[in-house]
Amino acid sequence: MDYGVGNLHSISKGIERVGAEVEVVSSPSELLDAECIVFPGVGAFGAAMDTLRPVLPRLRKRIMGGIPVLGVCLGMQILFERSEESAGEGVGVLKGDVKRLKDGRIPQMGWNDVTPMDRTLFAGISEGTQFYFANSYVCHPSETVQAAWTEYGERFPSAVRKGAIFGVQFHPEKSGPQGLRLLQNFVKIAEGSE
Amino acid sequence: MVLTKRIIPCLDVKDGVVVKGICFKDLRSVGDPPSLAVEYQDQGADEIVFLDVKASVAGAKTLLAAVTKTAENLFIPLTVGGGIRSFEDVRRTLKAGADKTSVNTAAVENPSLITQCAEAFGNQCIVVAIDAKRTDGSWEVYTHSGTRPTGRDAIDWAVEVCERGAGEILLTSMDADGTKLGYDIELTRRVVRAVSVPVIASGGCGTIDHIVEVLKKGEADAALAASIFHYGQHTVAEVKEILKRNGIRVREAVG
Repeated sequence: MDYGVGNLHSISKGIERVGAEVEVVSSPSELLDAECIVFPGVGAFGAAMDTLRPVLPRLRKRIMGGIPVLGVCLGMQILFERSEESAGEGVGVLKGDVKRLKDGRIPQMGWNDVTPMDRTLFAGISEGTQFYFANSYVCHPSETVQAAWTEYGERFPSAVRKGAIFGVQFHPEKSGPQGLRLLQNFVKIAEGSE
Repeated sequence: MVLTKRIIPCLDVKDGVVVKGICFKDLRSVGDPPSLAVEYQDQGADEIVFLDVKASVAGAKTLLAAVTKTAENLFIPLTVGGGIRSFEDVRRTLKAGADKTSVNTAAVENPSLITQCAEAFGNQCIVVAIDAKRTDGSWEVYTHSGTRPTGRDAIDWAVEVCERGAGEILLTSMDADGTKLGYDIELTRRVVRAVSVPVIASGGCGTIDHIVEVLKKGEADAALAASIFHYGQHTVAEVKEILKRNGIRVREAVG
């Protein structure tokens, strides 16, 4: 999904590299026909939601219907209900809020440790692997969806999962070979659910 | 847990070709930005910076083509700077496949550009590059590739660009740049302590010890270096090994 700003090249190339076909859509109605949706991690919460708003009820229904979804960074945050970054609702398929990081240099920019709790996305990725983060906000789920955690001034969910809905706060497409491995895991999950 | 310190090779690009001397073995296209970027990625670089040192109109097109080609095979962040003058330039550079854009002269001439870009693309995409030169006890900001003094104090300017939405500062000491005698530790530390965003130290790297020093004493979040890598003096992996021995956390380069 293209919200009209930023670099979509990287995530598209990353997913193509692990063997899937990517179609970048800029009209949100096209999302409704997708077999699998990736929300990339570029831009701001409000701007991304403005793009999705025309199809929001149908999009929610489609996602809750079990279509595989991967949200990356901002793309993970918009899956929640609200964000301190911008007024207005999120997609809301995950319960909870998005809040500004409390401590440390902001944005968090660089490589940080990710500790997996649910191995589904992290299959074959060794413990203590670092991933690349570039974010000022983190998700605070109000339901049990945490799939990995990371510490940066506070402990926050660096990955979430609810059924076929996945979100990662880091950028797998910018996290070297291990990041590509994670994308490959997601593609396999998506193929398996077709 | 704190973030690992980042090691960032910088490629000076002119008309789409890397201009500093390159001594990699077994590299088919010497001086070709996309091949070099991937070579550094494989050595364990945490990020890559392309700096367009000529920044002509024709050069900018060639650079964007190189960015797109690089992004096909680069799975670490890529920052592109040099000659980025407008909102449209930033948009185009990100669209071509850069993860961050670095602005310098344009930010000084039109500081609202920082805010405008940060709001549209997110502040993590907007790096403000500051070229600073010592003038009795303080540092002055220079623009136009270090040729024009601005009368602005570098520390004050660093604080201002953060307030305006910069996500990161790329700080170059003009006094140290090109000397290979080490980074300007005092300048780096002053800026790091004055701002809340990450700071990349640049200018003066001649040995691995210089990198250790700027990350430890200078408190920089990342160190940028060019010739130490380009001339085959050290690989990124070697640098990281020494950093680890000095108690600095670095990302493990895993295959």
